[in-house]
Amino acid sequence: MAMRDFSKVYSSLRFLLIDLQKQLQTVYDGLIGQDTSLFAKSQERMDYIENAHLSLLNHSFHSSLRQGREQLPLQGFEHISYSLLNLSLQLNSLSQELQKLKSLKLLQKKRITQALQTLNRGLSLIVPALESEDLALTLNLCQLQGQIDKLGREQLQRYSQELKNCEQQAALLQCSFIVRDIQSMGNTLLKVGEGLLSAKLGQFMQIDRYQSLEATLCDFNQQLPSQDLRIHSMGETKSGCTLSSVQTGQEAEAQVLAIFKQGRKDKLHDEKLGIERWHQAFPGIAPEVYSYQKQGDKAALLFEYLSGETFESLLLDERERLQTAINRLFSTLSEIWHTTVQARRIAANFMPQLQKRLSAVYAVHPEFNLKDKGLRIGTAQQVSLEKLIQQATMLESELQAPFAVYIHGDFNVDNILYNAEQDSVNFVDLHRSEYQDYTQDLSVLMVSFYRLAYFEPKTRQRIRLVMEAIYDFGADYAESQRDHDYAKRMTLGLARSYISSTRFVLDKEHAKSMLFKGRYLLEHLIHQSKDNSTYRLPKELLRETF
Amino acid sequence: MAKKPEYFVHESLQDRNSLIHYLRALLQGIENGEVILADDDETLTLTPNHLTLMNLRASKTKSEQSLRLKLSWTTQLTDESDSAPLFIKSKKSKKGK
Repeated sequence: MAMRDFSKVYSSLRFLLIDLQKQLQTVYDGLIGQDTSLFAKSQERMDYIENAHLSLLNHSFHSSLRQGREQLPLQGFEHISYSLLNLSLQLNSLSQELQKLKSLKLLQKKRITQALQTLNRGLSLIVPALESEDLALTLNLCQLQGQIDKLGREQLQRYSQELKNCEQQAALLQCSFIVRDIQSMGNTLLKVGEGLLSAKLGQFMQIDRYQSLEATLCDFNQQLPSQDLRIHSMGETKSGCTLSSVQTGQEAEAQVLAIFKQGRKDKLHDEKLGIERWHQAFPGIAPEVYSYQKQGDKAALLFEYLSGETFESLLLDERERLQTAINRLFSTLSEIWHTTVQARRIAANFMPQLQKRLSAVYAVHPEFNLKDKGLRIGTAQQVSLEKLIQQATMLESELQAPFAVYIHGDFNVDNILYNAEQDSVNFVDLHRSEYQDYTQDLSVLMVSFYRLAYFEPKTRQRIRLVMEAIYDFGADYAESQRDHDYAKRMTLGLARSYISSTRFVLDKEHAKSMLFKGRYLLEHLIHQSKDNSTYRLPKELLRETF
Repeated sequence: MAKKPEYFVHESLQDRNSLIHYLRALLQGIENGEVILADDDETLTLTPNHLTLMNLRASKTKSEQSLRLKLSWTTQLTDESDSAPLFIKSKKSKKGK
């Protein structure tokens, strides 16, 4: 279905182009051959062009109705079509101006015919550019505007010189206006080029933005061979954004230059702000933003591609490499926390977070929902999860972190990159960064390791070791900061993450083990908090229990 | 490493008092962290963990009622070559700040 819509929209666009090129050719022939009848003939093309444009919009609209959401490539087509219609209107008024002229002699200049030929070449490039794999033709097309503009400026200069020593001043002024009209058609051609870029890149992007990307990349001493820039889809993020990479080079030695992320404007705007705040709070951890574009409720972010390995791949690697990477992460976190610390108490609100996620958990695992009923075995009672969360909420209200630090906010294994060459870490996906309790990040990170779907005993042991390392690192930091409630807050954070992230775990046994661990942690904390001794996390829980 | 599982199976008819006697013996074993099961041929020793999965199933028909209690736990199966902690405490730098 999508394919059929696409081909209808595409064929409307091709019809429009054929008529527009005929219109331009007729005006051109009229000018060169001094045949004023051709100007009127060129104006007859307008109806065909308008019809093709309307038919394109119509097909595109029906497609978006059926698909239920915007079709970004089709949006690009609409953009191109509007610009082409605009170009046709400009040609139309140009031909009307030409009809009024007594003589065409002053316009039969090399620069003017070249400018019109350039315009025509631009139109001929549209279909090949659309069909081509890379962006080179599209960029060529965009560059034509510069050529047309230059030819126009030179011709205008000639006219202004002639104006000084000539009696046909009125005619020269009229010709100058026509040259300006041709220049503005060049601008419209550039709009078409932007539409093409948009269709190819999947979002609206202005040519100067593209050039700023090009400039930024050149700053990195990277040559940008625009002939073979490619856009590769990298799939979707959990928050519903699509990711693509801008690559150069052939398949085997392809090099990623930048990442495009597109999706809901609110999410991407948050991410952009998050990144900017990271640059202020702790430079060097977040990627550079090259460009941010918005259109309606959609937005696109173009940012630096950070090379590195995820901790998921390091987990399966040699022990030494994992150990080096994880300890680099720890020392980076200590630095970030030392640098961004704010001396104010802050509540992480783990239990309210969990409460909010419960319905999403039950939607994936309906069998977890015991409808707020508790359990009774003889004289023994077990409260429902909802009750347990209520009780834990009471406890949590007295557990604020003694200080706030700038945290990632969605500290999953996939959102941390380790660069072995530089022995450095980078963070990505920063739309939830804020000043918060550091146990928020640590507990999310631990459970994101636990959640990984590797079930071989050796890997599970690795996962346990990593989780223990994260916990111990945090405990060590807490001790150095005299943060005495670390264990309790981590218990609540871990329980929150174990239970709430079951919604991403489809393996029933794995999800069940997470629910049980989360529940057990809450019961343990509630039970232990009744006596006043120092609370310890039941670490045996990090092991596989069944 | 992958040894065959060992089994112990027992079935008998008991009155209420002797049933309680056996259940108490199991409880005692769980408390001590060691449940010894033996018959003529072999002895099987289980070492219950601190964390145990309790699976309780009961059924009831007109003619029969049953209660099944399954307790399961994992035993620590450590690969000695990869069991040392990964976190390296940096002693000096932090205390200095």
